[in-house]
Amino acid sequence: MTDRARYEALVLPHLDAAYNLARWLTRNDHDAEDVLQEAMLRAYRHFDSLRGEARPWLLAIVRNACWTWLRANRPAEIAAGDDELESDAPGPEALAAREFDRRALNAAIAALPLPFREALVLRELEDLPYKDIARIAGVPIGTVMSRISRARGLLAQALRPAAVPRLRVHK
Amino acid sequence: MRTDERLHAYIDGELDAAAALELEREMAQNPALRAAAERLRELSSAVRTQADYHRAPRRFNKIPKEKRRWLMLAPAFALALLIGAGIGLYIARPAEDAELVASHVRATLGNQLIDVASADQHTVKPWLSARLPYSPPVADLSGEGFPLVGARLDYVGGERVAVLVYKRREHVIDVYVAPGEASGGSGARDGFNVERFARGAMRYALVSDLNRSELRDFAKLLNSGPGS
Repeated sequence: MTDRARYEALVLPHLDAAYNLARWLTRNDHDAEDVLQEAMLRAYRHFDSLRGEARPWLLAIVRNACWTWLRANRPAEIAAGDDELESDAPGPEALAAREFDRRALNAAIAALPLPFREALVLRELEDLPYKDIARIAGVPIGTVMSRISRARGLLAQALRPAAVPRLRVHK
Repeated sequence: MRTDERLHAYIDGELDAAAALELEREMAQNPALRAAAERLRELSSAVRTQADYHRAPRRFNKIPKEKRRWLMLAPAFALALLIGAGIGLYIARPAEDAELVASHVRATLGNQLIDVASADQHTVKPWLSARLPYSPPVADLSGEGFPLVGARLDYVGGERVAVLVYKRREHVIDVYVAPGEASGGSGARDGFNVERFARGAMRYALVSDLNRSELRDFAKLLNSGPGS
């Protein structure tokens, strides 16, 4: 099989996963498409570095392209997400939401600080194990664990009926 | 590990067997902990089923185009084309008049004007075809006063080229023929005239000490006669 054919067979099936991650990290279609364009080029160029599963490999490239783009275009967002080991995460008792409004749910995910949003999207929408998320984000598994815990905690907090009106979405 | 982190890891199936058993034992004794795990599962499932999943625009579903990479490859590609066509630099960089004249002078001064001496186009053409990756047309123009006297192989513009040798009275006319395109035109150098034209897939260059007017007439004959 040629490299082109292998790329088509191994990488292109994960195109939606790649775009979904870029879209959730950049939070708009236009920027996500720019980032995806760059990431797919990089993936094709470095295709010979692919070992093992293609999806985490591609998502790591997309993730890095997103962060590079955000660092250049929205540095404040990178800085704001740097508080991952704060201990004010709400405990399980705060997770009271049962019925979720779809729009409120999407807005709440979009409002999560970058590292938490990233971990949550990879865990819930891509169903990836912690070790893959750790590899993609370039952090230890313990950090992934705390980010996912924080992400769900903040989400539940934002979705409590009283909290919904105060929800702020960064655009 | 903090209890809430253990709960999240538990519903994600990320606790090892021993830690999962321990947590289940705790939950059996603590209904609030069990309820918290249930709410976490609901939240997780809500995200999975209700969060937007953004699908990539269709235009991305192909091999990405990379301009820089293509430019990097372009010279190698062009070279491969030339080598593949077997005509090398003669087409890429047409021999200058000076080089043609030098070749002509070398041949007429030495004894290498003709490799195959024959006035018969059916002898000359196969002789050339056997030695070149192309088959140059060889026309018999003796009826017009330009008898064919033979042919040789010469090295011009970095490549082997067919040279048909004709005569006009006592003047030798070298006709360089190779595949490729060229613009027509006349030139002169060191008392020799050069005429160029293209016909079909071939490019021609005529070099002789014959006067320009007759050389041009000969060029016209070659360009219009039967292209055997």
